[in-house]
Amino acid sequence: MIPFDWRLIAVEAAASVWILVLLVADMLMPPARRRNLWLLAFAGILVCLTLLFWQQQTFLEGSAQEMLVVDAFSLFFKGLFLLTGLLVIIMTRESGLALNESPGPFYLLLFTALLGALVLASVNDLLMLFIGLELLTFSLYIMAAYLKRDARSVEAGMKYLIMGSVSSGFLVFGIALLYGFAGATSFPQVSHAIFLAPKTPSIYAGLFLVLAGLGFKVAAVPFHLWVPDVYEGAPAPVVAFLSVGSKMAGMVALMRVLYGVFLPLVATWSNLLAWVAAATILYGNLGALPQTNFKRLLGYSSIGHAGYLLMGISSAGWSGVTAVGYYLLAYMLSNLAVFLVLIAASGALGGETLDDFKGLGKRSGLLAAVMFIGLLSLAGVPPLAGFVGKLLILLSAAERNRLWLVAIGAVNVAISLYYYLMIVKRMYLDPPRSASPIPITPLTKTALIVLVLGILAVGICQEPFLQRISTALPY
Amino acid sequence: MPPLLPMILAAPALGALALCGVRQERVSLIRRIAATVTGLSLLAAVRMMWTFQPAVSGYQFEVAVPWISSLGISLHLGVDGINAVLVLLHALCSFSGVLISYAVKDRVKEYYIFYLLLITGVFGVFLSLDLFFFYFFYEMAVIPMYPLIGIWGSDVKEEGRVRFSKEYATMKLTIYLTLGAVVALIGLLWLYIQSGARTFDLPALQHHLAAAPLDPSLQRWIFPLLVIGFGVIAPMWPLHSWSPIGHAAAPSAVSMLHAGVLMKLGSYAIIRLAIGLLPEGAAMWMPWVAGLCVMNILYGGFVAMAQKDLKLIIGYSSSSHMGYVLLGIACLTPLAMNGAVLLMFAHGIMTALAFAVVGHIYDQTHTRYLPDLGGLAHQLPFIAVCGVIAAMASSGLPGFANFVAELLVFLGGWDRYPVQIICGVFGVVITAVYMLRLVRGTLFGPPKPAFAHVHDAATPFARLPFVLLILALLFVGCWPQPMLRIVDSGSRTLLERANPPVIAMRREVRIGVQAEVAP
Repeated sequence: MIPFDWRLIAVEAAASVWILVLLVADMLMPPARRRNLWLLAFAGILVCLTLLFWQQQTFLEGSAQEMLVVDAFSLFFKGLFLLTGLLVIIMTRESGLALNESPGPFYLLLFTALLGALVLASVNDLLMLFIGLELLTFSLYIMAAYLKRDARSVEAGMKYLIMGSVSSGFLVFGIALLYGFAGATSFPQVSHAIFLAPKTPSIYAGLFLVLAGLGFKVAAVPFHLWVPDVYEGAPAPVVAFLSVGSKMAGMVALMRVLYGVFLPLVATWSNLLAWVAAATILYGNLGALPQTNFKRLLGYSSIGHAGYLLMGISSAGWSGVTAVGYYLLAYMLSNLAVFLVLIAASGALGGETLDDFKGLGKRSGLLAAVMFIGLLSLAGVPPLAGFVGKLLILLSAAERNRLWLVAIGAVNVAISLYYYLMIVKRMYLDPPRSASPIPITPLTKTALIVLVLGILAVGICQEPFLQRISTALPY
Repeated sequence: MPPLLPMILAAPALGALALCGVRQERVSLIRRIAATVTGLSLLAAVRMMWTFQPAVSGYQFEVAVPWISSLGISLHLGVDGINAVLVLLHALCSFSGVLISYAVKDRVKEYYIFYLLLITGVFGVFLSLDLFFFYFFYEMAVIPMYPLIGIWGSDVKEEGRVRFSKEYATMKLTIYLTLGAVVALIGLLWLYIQSGARTFDLPALQHHLAAAPLDPSLQRWIFPLLVIGFGVIAPMWPLHSWSPIGHAAAPSAVSMLHAGVLMKLGSYAIIRLAIGLLPEGAAMWMPWVAGLCVMNILYGGFVAMAQKDLKLIIGYSSSSHMGYVLLGIACLTPLAMNGAVLLMFAHGIMTALAFAVVGHIYDQTHTRYLPDLGGLAHQLPFIAVCGVIAAMASSGLPGFANFVAELLVFLGGWDRYPVQIICGVFGVVITAVYMLRLVRGTLFGPPKPAFAHVHDAATPFARLPFVLLILALLFVGCWPQPMLRIVDSGSRTLLERANPPVIAMRREVRIGVQAEVAP
């Protein structure tokens, strides 16, 4: 038995403690002052970030009881998860939704979801994979349905729950098959067993079932059907977390499992994922073209982005994983910027359809400019972050000699530019419905500016970020 | 010597950045900043041409900053005879464009920010000797066009009804150019992987490919990807349909850059990347390209004859004239290549002048519809002179740079493609027809009472851009030798590797090597 080192799970422990703190605080605080709970949640994320920074500075690496591993890979992605959480808190506060009537449980659920994501970044055991995934998804079921009086929100939560439970069933079944075959749940042991007998049918069944379960999380075709409805119905801050935090966690878990367990079968899953990636890119981008609801459009576009990420994972190897890391960083910054503008503006604009954004450029120059930059970065236009991410992904696929996949990915850049520009057209070219300027709180303003600077920095000075990511390979 | 190339590139970029910090209301400060930074670029570009040494082969004024070392990417700037001329062209057009933009009154700050970003992107493409940054700046140049045309542009109207809305024009332009760019990107990535050099650095890649050329069967496939991708912006028939509409809908300063310089990005990329890196692919495909060029010249010319919107006429004439440029490139002889590069310069200046004239007329009369216009020479004597000069230059009258350049293309290409050249010469007649028709319809005839109030470009400041462009046309037209020597130094080095005899020799060597290995 390896001696247990508490320092390895410091971040997860802090997040768990903070769940209790929030629970108690919500009970003790007088209802009138519960609006201020966001400060406590904010502080909690800062504590976690500090611990993460300390872990990184002390070059802490190792595994806690073979269940969770701490390495550069997990530290990098945990940082991204926590930053996403930070911004989701700002968004929640900014949204004039009924969320803020009883925000205590919402922040608590955000922390449980984050805990799930943190676990997934370090996962080294099939059971932990299941626990992390369920922690994340269960919290999101409730968060999606959080607006109890809004039928669309409840519908979104319900749809998500049903589809999610079925996919969890797939995952558990896959895990059971793998356990039955290998007699262990730890990644290295299962991987070793697969290495010794790679042709066994139950292994392939396990691989496909686990891929199906994770494919649901990352919204890969054909497990994407829940995305548009849930995105349209759920509260905007939840959608932001769903499309950034949850998708990142799914991708990270996918890389952990594929590289940690199924490396002996790399030829099989690499080809399979290449086809899935092509289908996902095409479905997401073509599906986004006729949309009229902003969140629904972002749902389809997030399917398209999942396709690019799967493309990077499918070109198994150093360049593919680096590209995925870079793409996720860029995607996080750009998508959060877009959602923050969406939330900050939708109250004054009176809705979330695309036509509500007509003339935003005249009503708030800053909001429109940040939206413009965020959307172009998502489309992959230099000198913004998304361009480098897309280029690295395409390059990694070209290295695998999958020219057809490069062609699909490249052409879809132009397709996605079309629907992103249709939003820009509404913001800048169309006349506004009312002329009153839109007020922005200082906190949101700061967050917007930081995000834009981040997008520019990641897009222009690639070297420092690339070095940070390329030292963070899973195995 | 000061680092000229980084100065040229950085001045407009820093200008755009500085403008972000200026308040919206301070319009004259904004205009002054924009004029200063583009003026600086122009001065640096003139200095660069002045100190350029045609006798030295290879790239000059080189600056290289390592950027992403793991992928072999560096910010590598440098010029040879070909892009030096284009940098000067762009500097001239962008400075005049900023001065012409004084007509813009709405959302001035954003306008200049986007305009300076566009200028930076184009400078970046011409100066970069690195495939990554080449593509980076290329896309960066395309995207600002969308808001520039969409917000500050105008619908194309005919008889009072909208023929093309500016929203349609700008979206079509952006999507066409981006699709072209990604097709070229597929080719570039394929080339990067197949070369095995693991570098995006252009000179290093050229060096590597000279020693170990790509297999001709690969070049056969990569070359069309690059030519089609960059041909969209060139614009090569039948991929040109975005361009006249885009020109017509854009504000005049943007049309100037667009027709004057942006189209040359495509032909420059074909010269530098497609021919420079894939000489054997060029030898295989260029006869096809030459055929398309004839379509460009004749089709563009005939369509221009039928147009009634001033900007559409010049737009179609641009795509017709780019046919000569591409034809000169397709010949793959030094003489024709010199002609093509010189024509890029001459046509860029000429068309910028034409758009400036049309822009002034449109600003004053609020119409570009040919039947509505007439007799403007009475009210606008200065503009009328400029318009006649542009028309003469466009139809290739001796004394202007266009004449020299077109003559070189015809002479240099005669041995290679006589039929195409004859068609091209016929195209000059078509040009004369629609240009004279345009001049007659707008400038001459009895004065119309509706235009009694219009103003000429009266102040020296307003006349400066016109004078600058005309002087450049006349200088190169009357004394082409200095510029031609510079161009020649670049195109000779480039074509040494793309010449059919050289290729045949290399092929023999390769077959010989294989024969030695075979037994």
